[in-house]
Amino acid sequence: MSGAEKTIPLREGLWTEKGHDGQPHLLGHRCLDCGEVFFPRKENGICTHCHSQNLELIELSRKGQVHAFSVVMLRPPGGYYRGDVPYALANVLLDEGVLVEGLVTDVNLDDIKVGMDMELKIDKLHEDDEGNTVMTYKFRPSAA
Amino acid sequence: MKNMREAVIAGVGITKFDSYDGEKGRPLRQFYDLGSEAIQKALDDAGMEWNDIQAAFCGSVYCGTGSGHQTIQKIGLTGIPIVNVENACSSGISALRLAFQMVGAEIYDCVIAAGFEQMPRGPIQSTAWPVWQRQMGFNVQPADYAMRTVRYMEETGATEEDFARVTVKNRNNGSLNPNARMQKPVTIEEVLSSRMVAKPLRFLNACPLADGGTAVIVCSRDKLKSTDKVVTVAAATLCTAFYSSARIQGADHVQTSADQAFEMAGMGPEDMDVVQAYDTMSPGELWDLEKLGFCKKGEAPHLLREGYFDLSGKLPVNTDGGLMSRGHPLGATALAQVIEIYRQIRGEAGPRQVAGAKAGLAHAMGAGPNSGVVILKR
Ligand SMILES: [Zn+2]
Repeated sequence: MSGAEKTIPLREGLWTEKGHDGQPHLLGHRCLDCGEVFFPRKENGICTHCHSQNLELIELSRKGQVHAFSVVMLRPPGGYYRGDVPYALANVLLDEGVLVEGLVTDVNLDDIKVGMDMELKIDKLHEDDEGNTVMTYKFRPSAA
Repeated sequence: MKNMREAVIAGVGITKFDSYDGEKGRPLRQFYDLGSEAIQKALDDAGMEWNDIQAAFCGSVYCGTGSGHQTIQKIGLTGIPIVNVENACSSGISALRLAFQMVGAEIYDCVIAAGFEQMPRGPIQSTAWPVWQRQMGFNVQPADYAMRTVRYMEETGATEEDFARVTVKNRNNGSLNPNARMQKPVTIEEVLSSRMVAKPLRFLNACPLADGGTAVIVCSRDKLKSTDKVVTVAAATLCTAFYSSARIQGADHVQTSADQAFEMAGMGPEDMDVVQAYDTMSPGELWDLEKLGFCKKGEAPHLLREGYFDLSGKLPVNTDGGLMSRGHPLGATALAQVIEIYRQIRGEAGPRQVAGAKAGLAHAMGAGPNSGVVILKR
């Protein structure tokens, strides 16, 4: 510990801390030609649906429903994931109609169900080798 | 694809699928040992010499640069073009499709497609996920399948017991296949009490890994050494993903690869006597059969319960035990699917023979995604 430890995002550009309503929001792309919505944003600026390069950055809804999920019972290969095992992953269908895969938190793993209302939470993922607290986006149950 | 010359199968070869890692008394065999054994067996089966082969397409995934060249060096050096084909789990069927087209287009008269693999030991690193997604724990292949399984259960009412039945059926069939890695049947209870890997999928819902080699010789009819029970390649197709999302419904690449194959063959699902569906994970066999057109969405679990897909059923599926029993050497798997259909149509499947089989379909799919379909007929 050098004393210079910081709180850092897992990756720049996945979300904004303060959106239009002062709350964190995931950042996606909307295609201005075909209307398709993407998360994460298209790094190369190309819509893979209609091939337009006319994309705008948008804040995605904080709310959605569980479309599919799994409780993972084994540690993923490679040592990249440093969290608890078992852990839950879900594909959450946000209000814009875009599916976002993410970790699920603040829930008993046996209670996750398809259709469950979820909301975005920016939460600690792990501590990196330099002692920084790495933050990421997760989903937690919400009151609809 | 119009008016192609008929391409037929002259012979096939396959090794026993097993772990050849040299540990615990098991033999150490490299991919080129397995691949060249399969190629020699295919030559023997066809009654051909290596000099008869004019080109080679070699499927593998983890064998490194020039793996086909290293394999064929063990057989003979005749200067022919060798092209290595890496298309994940569909590598072998992708190689066969190229052989089929080369013969069909009259570029060559006799081409070999091979597939072989010695699987890496330990957890397989995948670059399919960017680092930040691996840090979030997304890089668990069974979890992807598990999420698709959850959707399938939601949409069709299929149960974990149905998925266990797929494993039980395939392991029963595998017990009749001396080339399969797993030859011991299992019960529904054993599957349902096996270790959970990624809910709702358990250890015995997943196919085991294996090493192995396969080869198929494709030629024009006039090059056959024997015209007894000739098997024709009626279709070989390959599709990749069509754009699709929660908002925009795109075509399904598996369904499209099957539709194209049936059209090419001038046949329909009802003409197939035996099917090799893709069962890396047991639930996958059910939705695969639906996407390939053998029944409507959600019907496969009911048909399975009735015994429709059993060896003695109306449409036997994965008669050699499928991936679930054979094990899964990535580069070799797809041609093993094809070889079983060939054996069935030739009446050479021994205790697992489907009486009177005249036509069949082999499917391979996987990462990419790719989906390859081959239809063989007598
Ligand atoms: Zn677009």
